[in-house]
Parts: sequence; C-alpha cells; structure tokens
Amino acid sequence: MQRESLSDWLDRHAGRVFLAPAILLVLAFSIFPLIISAWLALSRFQLSANGWDITFVGFNNFKKLLFGSQQFHFVGTFAPVPVLGWLILAAVSALVLWGLWRYLSSGAISILGIIGRLISFSLAILLALMFTFTLGDKAQIGSLATTLFYVVVGVGLQFLIGTGLAWLCAQKIKGRDFFRVVFFVPMMVTPVGVAYMFRMLADMRQGPISPIWRGLGFGDFAWSTNAWSAKTMVIIGDTWQWVPFIFIVMLAAFESQPRDEIEAAELDGASPWQIFRDITWPSVAPVAATIVLIRVIEAFKIIDLPNVLTNGGPGIATESLTLHSFIDWRTLNLGGSAAVAYMLLFVSTVTCVSFFNFVVMPMRARRT
Amino acid sequence: MTVTLDKVAKNFGATRVLHELDLKAEPGEFVVLLGASGSGKTTALRMIAGLETTTSGTITIAGRDVTNVLPKNRDVAMVFQSYALYPHKTVAENIGYPLMIRGLPRAERDKQVRDVAGQVELIPYLDRYPRQLSGGQRQRVALARAMVRRPAVFLMDEPLSNLDAKLRGHMRAELKHMQHGLGITTIYVTHDQVEAMTLAHRVALLEGGKLQQLAAPKVIYNDPENLFVARFIGSPPMNLLHGKLDAGRFLLGDRVVPTASRQSSADAVLGVRPEDCRLAEAGGGTLTGEVYATELIGDHTLVTVKVGADMLTLKGSKDFDAPVGTPLGVAIAPERTYVFDGPSGARLR
Amino acid sequence: MNLFESKTLGRMAPTAALIIYGLLGFWAFVVVFPIYWLAVTSIKIRLDVINGPLYIPFVDFTPSGHAWHYIFYDLGNDTFRPYWNSIIVACFSTLCVMIIGTAASYALARLSFKPRLSSIIAFILGVIAMLLLVAWLGLDWRLAVASGLALFVILVLALHRAPSPTLGNSDILFWLISQRIMPPVVAAIPIYIMFQRIGLLDTAPGLILAYVTVNMPIVIWLMFDFFVSIPKDLDESAELDGASKYRVFWDIILPLARPGLVATALLVFIFAWNEYLLALFLSTANAQTIPILVAAQNGTRGPEWEYMSVLILIMILPVVVLTLVLQRFIAKGLLLGAVKG
Repeated sequence: MQRESLSDWLDRHAGRVFLAPAILLVLAFSIFPLIISAWLALSRFQLSANGWDITFVGFNNFKKLLFGSQQFHFVGTFAPVPVLGWLILAAVSALVLWGLWRYLSSGAISILGIIGRLISFSLAILLALMFTFTLGDKAQIGSLATTLFYVVVGVGLQFLIGTGLAWLCAQKIKGRDFFRVVFFVPMMVTPVGVAYMFRMLADMRQGPISPIWRGLGFGDFAWSTNAWSAKTMVIIGDTWQWVPFIFIVMLAAFESQPRDEIEAAELDGASPWQIFRDITWPSVAPVAATIVLIRVIEAFKIIDLPNVLTNGGPGIATESLTLHSFIDWRTLNLGGSAAVAYMLLFVSTVTCVSFFNFVVMPMRARRT
Repeated sequence: MTVTLDKVAKNFGATRVLHELDLKAEPGEFVVLLGASGSGKTTALRMIAGLETTTSGTITIAGRDVTNVLPKNRDVAMVFQSYALYPHKTVAENIGYPLMIRGLPRAERDKQVRDVAGQVELIPYLDRYPRQLSGGQRQRVALARAMVRRPAVFLMDEPLSNLDAKLRGHMRAELKHMQHGLGITTIYVTHDQVEAMTLAHRVALLEGGKLQQLAAPKVIYNDPENLFVARFIGSPPMNLLHGKLDAGRFLLGDRVVPTASRQSSADAVLGVRPEDCRLAEAGGGTLTGEVYATELIGDHTLVTVKVGADMLTLKGSKDFDAPVGTPLGVAIAPERTYVFDGPSGARLR
Repeated sequence: MNLFESKTLGRMAPTAALIIYGLLGFWAFVVVFPIYWLAVTSIKIRLDVINGPLYIPFVDFTPSGHAWHYIFYDLGNDTFRPYWNSIIVACFSTLCVMIIGTAASYALARLSFKPRLSSIIAFILGVIAMLLLVAWLGLDWRLAVASGLALFVILVLALHRAPSPTLGNSDILFWLISQRIMPPVVAAIPIYIMFQRIGLLDTAPGLILAYVTVNMPIVIWLMFDFFVSIPKDLDESAELDGASKYRVFWDIILPLARPGLVATALLVFIFAWNEYLLALFLSTANAQTIPILVAAQNGTRGPEWEYMSVLILIMILPVVVLTLVLQRFIAKGLLLGAVKG
C-alpha cells in the first residue's frame, strides 16, 4: 500500500472532518453540562470563605421540591378539590386506560413498549392528580402546573387559531399573499418586546383597550393581581407571537392537498364538511401533528413573557419552570435550580417523546 | 489503457450483488456490460470508477492497482445517465471544470475547451446554461467534459437511454466514431442489446450478478454459451422448443430434429433463430404445425407457428397471407440449431 | 347552509366572503395594532402617556421626538453598547453556526457513516476525557459517572428505542436534532461555571459559542432536506473530475443550496437576536445584548412607556425587516419540506 498524501487522507476522512465540530460542540456544551447539572441537582451549594462548597446530598433537592419546603413553589398548595379538578382527573384516567387497552389488545407488544408506556401513563396520572388537588379556590398551582398550563392551553389555542386562519386563507380569496406577510411578522418579534407590548396593551388605566374595558364594567379589575388573569395574559401574548408559526405551515399544508380527490368528491356531491373530514384532514394531519410537537417542545422553555410581562407574579402565579430555575439560581441555590431544571427536562422529554410516539407516528402511518 | 477486474465481488448488506467477475479490457477496446436492471452491470461500472468499494477482488487500471484509490486519482472519466451537468455553470465552465481543478491557467483551459467543443459541435452553445439545452446537446456536453481530460478509461452509464429513438440512433454512430478516433478504452453499460451489438468490440452479458458470456458480438449472437444469452440476444428472440435429446437427436413429440450436438438429456431445449427457419408445405420440412398469428412488418411478415405445445416465429414474405389455423411445415437447418440443457441452461455441444 | 353556497361558479357566496374577509381582517388588525401602538407611544410626551389612551398623532396629541432624543443622546452609550453587542453576537454566531451546521448536515446527507469500533471507542474516550475535566473543575467524578450513566438509561427508556447494533446516519441525525428538546436552562448553569473558570463569562465569544450550540440543530435539520434533494450524480461527477470532497462541497453543493442557505441564515440570525435566557445567565455587564437591556429597563423604567417604546422599536426593527425578507423564501415553499418530513 502506498502512503497516501495528506490531502488524500483528508479527503477520505472528509465526512468526519465535516461532522466533528458539530459533535464536539454538542458534547462540550450540551452533554457535558447535562452531566454537571445532574450532579449539581444532587448536591447543595454554599458560599464559603474561599469560593464555594459543594456537598453531595442525594435526592434532597428533589424531595424538597416534591414534598418539602419548596413544594408550594413547584407543585402547589393543596385544597379541597373543585369539580374541574375531578373532571380533569377523570378525563386523563380514561385516556390512559383507553391507551393501555388499545396497546395490549393490538398484539404487537414488546418489553420496551410496555416500559415506555408505563412511564408515560404514570406521569400523566401523576400530573393529573397534581392538577386535581391544586386547582381549588384556596389552592395555588405551582410552577410545574403553570408550565403545563402554558403548554397545553397555549399550544392548543395557537393551533386552533392558526389552523382556522390557515383554512380561511386557503379559500378562494384575493390578497392571500398580503395576509401571509402580515400574519408572519409576530413570530419574529423579540419575545421580550412582545412581553412589554402586551404589558402596555393590558394596562387598564392608560392602555388602548381601557375604554372598552371600562365600558364593559370591568373598570377596577387589575389583571396583574389575579393569578388566573395574569396567566391568561401570558397566554394571550404567547398566542399572538406563535399563531403565525402554525398558520404558515398549515396554510402550506392546505395548499398542497390532493386536488384530484377533492374535485372527484365535489362531483360526487359531497358537502364541504365531508370533504374536510374525509380528504383534507387526513392529508394535513401528519403536518399538524409535527408542528404541534415542535411548538410543544419550544413552549416548555417559556421564560421571556412570564419574566417581563408579570415578573412571575402575582407571587409565583405565572412562574414557568425555567423562570423558577432562574430565580433559584439568582438566590445562589444552585442545587435547587438544577433540580428544577432537571424536572423540566424530564417532564418535557417524556411528554414530547410520548406525543411523538402516540400521536405523530400514527398520523404519519395512516397517510401511507 | 488496460482495465482488469480480478474476481471482483460486491455485497450490499447481506445481498451478493456481483459474484466474482473477471474482466479484462484491452487498450482502446470498447467493452459493453449488457444486462437487465439488477444484473450488477452498473455496480461493476461504479466500482471501476471508485464510487463503490469492492467487497473482494482487485481492479487495475494501466497496470496500477486502484482498488483502494480515491475516484479522483484513478484517471477515469464517466458519462452519467442523467449527464450530471452542473446547473449553475455554463457549458464552457462545465466542460472546463476538470481542467480548472487541475489548476490549468485560464488561457490554456479555454483553448482545450474550445477544441473539444468543436469536436462535438457545441461551439455556439458555450455560454449557455444546461437548462437552456436540448437532451441531445446536454449529452454532448457530458461527453465533452469526459473527453477534455484525455483519461485512461471512459466509463459510460446508459448515456443514450434518455434520448428519443431517432436521436439515439444518430448518437450511437457518433459515439462509435468518436471512440474509434480517440482510441480510449471504454466500458459502457446498457440494457439495450442493439447498442451492445452495434458499439462493442466485446460484450459482457450479466445476469443476477454473474457473467454469462464475454465475447465479440458476432460470437455472442452465433455461439451463445447458455439459454439466457440465447434468449437475451436477437430480435425477434430465438425460438425455443422443449423436448428430449438423445445422442444428438432432438426428439420433439414424434418428430426428430438432427443437431450438431452429440450429448443426451432428458429435458432439453432446442433453439433456432427465426432467420434460420423457412416455411415449407404442410407435411414437408423438419416440423409440422399450424399458423397461430401473422404480423405484417412491411418488408416481411412475422409468422408465429404453433408446433405442439411450443410457438415458433419465422419471417415469411411480405405477401404471406395464410389464415390462422392453416397447417404448414417449418424447415430447420441442423447446423443452425443450438441445444441447451433444460434445468441448467448450459449449452450442450 | 345555503347562505354559504356560492351562486356563481368560481366565486364565493357574498355572506361567506364577508365572514372570511372579516375574520382575516380582524386578525390582521390584531397583528398590526400592538406595533402601531409602540410606534405611536414612542412619539408621545409623558403627559400624553398618563392621560389615558391617545390613538392618533396630530389628531389626539402632538407628536414629539423627546423620547427618541433621550434614548439616543442622553443615554447614548448605554443604549449603543448592548445594541452593538447584539449585532456582533448575532452576526458571528450565525456565521459560525451556518459553517459548522451546514458541514455536518452535508456529511450526514451524503456520506454514509458506519461508525466502526474505533470510532465508538474514540467517542467513549471523549466521554472519559469529559469526566476528567469534571474532576479538574473540582467536582466529584464518581458522582458524575453515576449520574451520567443514570441519565443515559433514563433517556434511552424515554426514547423507546433500543440501541441498535449498527449506528447509522439517521441515528446521528436524530441525536443532533433532538438536542433541541433539552431546555437551555439545564445547561445554562454548568456553562456559567465553565465559562467562569475559562474566563469566557460576560464576553461576546462566550455568548457566541452558546448561541451556536443551541441553534445548530435547526441548521442541520433545515439544510438536510436541501442537500438530500441535490442529485448525487453531481457529487460523483465532480469527484471523478478530480475534486476532493471539500471542493465538491464548495464548488457544487453550496451554490446549488444557496436559497436554502440564505433562508436558514436569516432564521438563525433572528433567533440569535431574540435570544434571552442564555444572555441572561451568561452576561452580567459588558456582554449584555439588547433583549437583556430591555428586560432590565422594564424593572427600572417600566411605567415610562415612551422610552421603553423607543427601545423596543429599535430592538425589533432589524428582525422585522429580516422577517419580511425571509417571508419571500417561505412563500416559495422553502424550509417547509423539513417540517413535512
């Protein structure tokens, strides 16, 4: 074998050369910090005379979050359960049982599948229980529940509005391009800016909506001092920002429906609703599932809006998990901060992977 | 330059795509790898180019072992089925690309590009982009780009299959003329037997990753090694009759056909080309049958005759008009017959 | 619903048209109004702000350039420094992430990887090296190993995928893109510690490194589709013509992928400009970017709407302009293929 020249050797290994920087970066700034974070989550951080002291405390931080002194912050405070709470518990349990039954009777069972489903379903039940017990009037939901609220209600709302707008825009209207451009803008506005914009808009004394608000008789209501109205404000801001994302993609999906099938159905006398249900929806469902997944992944990380719009308040009412972690970090409670971050990682990973496996994949399979 | 493949084999995962192939192309020779899709011909070509690795075996070009050498260092030029022209470069830039990589100064590069463009009549199109050219013109650009390098070997992967029939015929002649003029060893892949027969010095017929026969077109046509070769080459295809062979006499029902073979087989196939059969009176000739179908081609009629359970096609005069069912005879010259073993397909001499 | 059935072929029924245009128009108003309010507020004086909502300049109130003047002149450097930081960090991080991400994406799209034993061993050695680094940082390495292993097991189970005996391109691709699921806050604290040790804290290069890491999955994901759609023939032809893989990438692939490159670069620039969390953790005084400035001012200057409006307007102006440019690409269907796939 002759000795290869340097340039030939580089050429042969071009693939690795191209890929290496990316992998190195991920290792150094993603995986490595992940491990350090795990370690931090298991320890207590204290300032001492010469810098800092880190002592291993096992799962103490997590215990504090779930059962101990930080429980009010993370999980929430308990109270007698309202009807809504029972409804949520019932709905989630029904869904879980149905999912389990479907899987077990499908005949294609594997160890990994069972373990995976057990993880997903138990998490779902636990979260439902948490909601149930913290929704009461005297109760207060913690940052975990708040984040889930943002994710589920927020993304849900964005999806409904975005898809609705996309469907309207996909009709035979003029000016579709104009709407496309205009609707796209909010997505790119710096979230911190969006937060402040809505802070101004929501001001009920000097804001632009205040005349209407006063006219409706809500005059004295300060939305920022009520837990749920504050959360709603965050959702409104988030929705304003992210509807375009869903809109653009769903519009493209609607525009690429199978025209032939629709025309055939029209000739056969199908009503618009039937066409939507039987032809349009199956063709856009996989895209819809994917886009919702992407939005869910990002929604878990929300921080700009709660921080700037409401500063996490009133109290901790609008704190997302990221904000919670940040506040802990600011108070030099590194261990607690890492523990919260890890809970966020765990919940969001299980949710996203579950969503992917149970919703996105089946939708894609149906299409083929 | 000589190109040698020595026991070259290729697996894709668990599937053996090419069984050990031995092939030697002499300097200046035009070798055609002929076969249906999946026969392994394109894989073999790509291994010579270095675009696929070999699972075993060695490849040498001009006496140099290139089995592990990078494609760019093998001194081969390839014309792709899709032409692979760079859409964002002009015709001149496409043709000159190999020279640009070698660092040839601009003036010299332009001169050589013009040279080659002249040989394929592309001078008026040098500043156009591929999307502005017709199929035939694009093909010529691909050809010019291969020619400009004066490589040791030309490799061509079904370069004519994207052209319409008329243009294909014209380009075949052009290709043959060009290759003869340049004298560069060429390995050419195609599924079209007409291209193989007309262009090749030698044809390598592949099937299922195995070499069936490697010989000059005349030999492949007149002396097929096995049933597959016999069936693949020739249009209309060779007639095949099933029966028994006894010491050189082919028994078909109650008829006996003498053959040039001297072997025996319980399950044999007799092959005879349509042009070696003649129509005879019913009762006369080597075999008897009845008219099954007639197709007027123009200058002759294709007559399909049902003989027992087999069909036989031969060429009759353009005035032949006997109706379906007419009994007639077929005369076969024994020295023009081929006998094959039924199960293995091997030629029985 | 006969109201909605159209009387003439090819046109919508008037009622339907009314409702549709009405709804769309309403949302267009919802989109534009907040930005309009920003613009209008930025030219008010304090009294105009306090005395209840005034909507139209020249009609409801007299516009004044006071707030603009204040922000630009009186606060001069305090405004420009973060703005300049934003520009530097966004530009350079976009440049770096495009280079690294596009190269990685091309490698995954074109060149097949069958990591041989040697590569996997190298990978494991890399992880061990990391753990040694942990020790150097003064943390207990046994715990790091334990937590790392625990993590790995949990992640594998959560992902419902058994590790396959032969890793391939799609696995590497999945791994790189799934980094996006990780909330940056998890990595922010350790990166803070790391940067403090290395001296990258509160510096532009530090921020650039962090931004590149979080945005890389996007670049890889989007460019992958582009590269896959370029016919492999072109690569092979250039290789035979004598080009090395690097040359093929530069001469052939990049020019053909140019629209995708531009669209992706715009998107990534916007994300980098808007980034808040990482800047929050990793900058304290010198490397502050403009979102941090705005958030900080929100605390001290919150009720001073006119000044904040100016700040926010100059903050969002670049990205809004870039968005309008980017929009043209999206309309052509670019980048959407990635979502469908």
